[in-house]
Amino acid sequence: MDKQIRIALAGNPNSGKTTLFNKLTGANQFVGNWPGVTVEKKEGKLIVDKEVVLTDLPGIYSLSPYTLEEVVARNYLIEEKPDAILNIVDATNLERNLYLTTQLVELGIPVVIALNMMDLVGKAGDTINVKELRRQLGCPIVEISALKGDGVRDAAKAAIEAAKTGKTLPQHRFSGPVEHALAHIEEVTVHNLPEEQQRWYAIKVFERDEKVLEKLQLSAETKAHIEQDIAAAEKEMDDDAESIITNERYVYIGQLLKGIYKKKGKGQLSASDKIDKIVTNRFLALPIFAAVMFLVYALSMGTSIADGGIALGTFLTDWANDVLGEAWLTEGSRAILEGWGAAPWLVGLISDGIFAGVGAVLGFVPQMLVLFLMLCLLEDCGYMARIAFIMDRIFRRFGLSGKSFIPMLVGTGCGIPGVMASRTIENERDRRMTIMTTTFIPCGAKMPIIGLIAGALFGGSTWVATSAYFIGIAAIVISGIMLKKTKMFAGDPAPFVMELPAYHVPAWGNVLRGTWERGWSFIKRAGTVIVLSSIIIWFLSGFGTVNGRFGMVDELYGDETVVTDEYVAVVAERMGIPEDEVEPMDDSILAHVAQPVSVIFKPLGFGDWKPAVATVTGLVAKEDVVGTFGVLYNFDARAEQAVDEETGELLFDEDGEPVMEELEENGDQIWANVAADFNDFSGGHGKLAAYSFMIFNLLCAPCFAAIGAIKREMNSRKWTWFAIAYQCGFAYVIALIVWQLGRLFVGGMNVVGLIAALILLALLCWQLFKPYREAQKLAVQV
Amino acid sequence: MMPLVLASPEEENIILRVGGSPEMKKHLEDMGFVVGGAVTVMNTIGGNLIVKVKESRVAISREMAGKIFV
Repeated sequence: MDKQIRIALAGNPNSGKTTLFNKLTGANQFVGNWPGVTVEKKEGKLIVDKEVVLTDLPGIYSLSPYTLEEVVARNYLIEEKPDAILNIVDATNLERNLYLTTQLVELGIPVVIALNMMDLVGKAGDTINVKELRRQLGCPIVEISALKGDGVRDAAKAAIEAAKTGKTLPQHRFSGPVEHALAHIEEVTVHNLPEEQQRWYAIKVFERDEKVLEKLQLSAETKAHIEQDIAAAEKEMDDDAESIITNERYVYIGQLLKGIYKKKGKGQLSASDKIDKIVTNRFLALPIFAAVMFLVYALSMGTSIADGGIALGTFLTDWANDVLGEAWLTEGSRAILEGWGAAPWLVGLISDGIFAGVGAVLGFVPQMLVLFLMLCLLEDCGYMARIAFIMDRIFRRFGLSGKSFIPMLVGTGCGIPGVMASRTIENERDRRMTIMTTTFIPCGAKMPIIGLIAGALFGGSTWVATSAYFIGIAAIVISGIMLKKTKMFAGDPAPFVMELPAYHVPAWGNVLRGTWERGWSFIKRAGTVIVLSSIIIWFLSGFGTVNGRFGMVDELYGDETVVTDEYVAVVAERMGIPEDEVEPMDDSILAHVAQPVSVIFKPLGFGDWKPAVATVTGLVAKEDVVGTFGVLYNFDARAEQAVDEETGELLFDEDGEPVMEELEENGDQIWANVAADFNDFSGGHGKLAAYSFMIFNLLCAPCFAAIGAIKREMNSRKWTWFAIAYQCGFAYVIALIVWQLGRLFVGGMNVVGLIAALILLALLCWQLFKPYREAQKLAVQV
Repeated sequence: MMPLVLASPEEENIILRVGGSPEMKKHLEDMGFVVGGAVTVMNTIGGNLIVKVKESRVAISREMAGKIFV
């Protein structure tokens, strides 16, 4: 059998590379990561020949080693040596695109050019002499339209042909002094490398490319020798070596295109420019941006269609949560398993553990898909790049990038895709900062917590929810400013420069594929972690040691010989509750662990085991906080017999069966209990304690699934732990300040606590307002 | 010679010098900002610029635009 042919797809960003890749490979794609970095790697089998693997390289402008994408692409080309390179070139921007081509042809790998968007060139009245271009560049050129699919198969066939037989030799030569130096370098340093790669290495040595020099390990003597040549060339050309090469390339391209590229119109504004005149207008940009974002939000996460809004996403998610997750998966599986006579623990594991977890993930999926669909639309039509541009000046002030906005917007729905969306931020520092702060924004699963606190203690006041968003935004701003001034984040600032693609009508194939890719990756990531942690929490809260016997607490409590009256008294005392309130769950492993842990929440005003347990289960999924309260405050999480509101009597249906009702999402049946309990353990300051509890739960580490996403995107154990520690620490400090300072006004002040709060507040302010030292140094460096 | 920030909109200028750190300079050059090349400011917003260089539109911050002289 022949060796498998590997072809690399290379090209500038926005040259239609993704579209071409999709057209060439169809559904045969595998998405992964390039080793060691968070740059996405896509591979696929060609439709025309399933034996050929096409690797989609990141979009790059050059093979210099300054951006992650460039390093990844050139490492692949140099180390893995694909059999051919399919270079997609945007014909409407020939000069800049050929700049990369001149570098690709030096690698000693056969290059085939796919000349994209020729139809647009023709429309503008310009002409390109493709035949002459082919002759001058010395490599096959196939005219294509990636969007329409024209010529795509021919390009693939040409690349396969080139991989089997072809050889591309760089046709361009640089000016005298440069060639002189290059000849010397080739002679003394790279003669033992494969012949076809020698020129590329020589040029990189000439450019003093650190990564190449490192790899070649030249002796000091050789280095000194070639340094003379480089310096001589630099002196003669009056520029640094790197810029000399860059200029030489552009000069070569300029001359090449003189007879080949004929431009008709000059200086006219394109349709895209006209749109930009309005969309990025200094007065209209922000209002238009706000309107677009409002529409995205309203359609995906706003008021459900069922409640008179326009949010298709919320509508579908409500259905998925209530019907699909709750009724079908959880209850359906319970009914079936119980019908089979399965053991109670097995029913619990499968229905409450696994299916409830799966249901929780599935519930978010429709909403996320609607959101992703709209984000993909914005991205494909070209508006996304403008968002980053418009928001950059604002976000730059607190150490984030204009591209941080999208992760945060997505984060209002769910933190997991929010964190995943941070991928588009190239600068590592900006990306880390965004990952760390995105989950401060209240996500959909935190809304029930806010609803519970607002309903139970604040009479359903809407300012609680509003304030939660403000707290989230303030946490991002404060964290951004504080972290920016730490050593860890004081690296190179990322000066803003990005290409704005021309606006165009979205290609539905790309949009739908992008939506599905993001959605599926969300399902996979969230699904595995949530299911796993649901099982763990189910076990911890369902099992325990009762009076010396280990087992399922529900079962053991049914056994009068195990749970004696004396034993109930012991448990009641340990938990600090009346004897008739002792429940099986009080003996679970979770309660045993949470009881001592709750002490650390004392300075925050909710040092009671119930909120402590709720906080812990919140790590599994934030909406579990309300469910846990339901269980802990004597409300069966699944169902409770309904009570007639007027008479207070238990309700029965016609057959004499009790009418059951479910715990509402905002837990309104337990509001009274929660309020009483919070007032009780906080010495009458229930409102303040509850608010502090809410702040902590909003800001502290997100759920396990989101932590998993953080770990993936950080791609570093150290940074993941740092992020979690920072989030928890920040949440603790803010909640402590609120509780301790708050008591100054509502009474019950604690001197030690107040001093601690004031010190923390002073530290916070100091870090916030201390001058940003690095700024001056870095401003010069840029 | 003046920094690109000061160039008037929709007027074609020739790049005379590209400054900044070697990395920044190289990145700008890779994107088409080379000495002798043409650049046109298309739009400004809050100090940031949208410029036309080669055939592409590039968004660039005020700080970066200050390093390109025309």
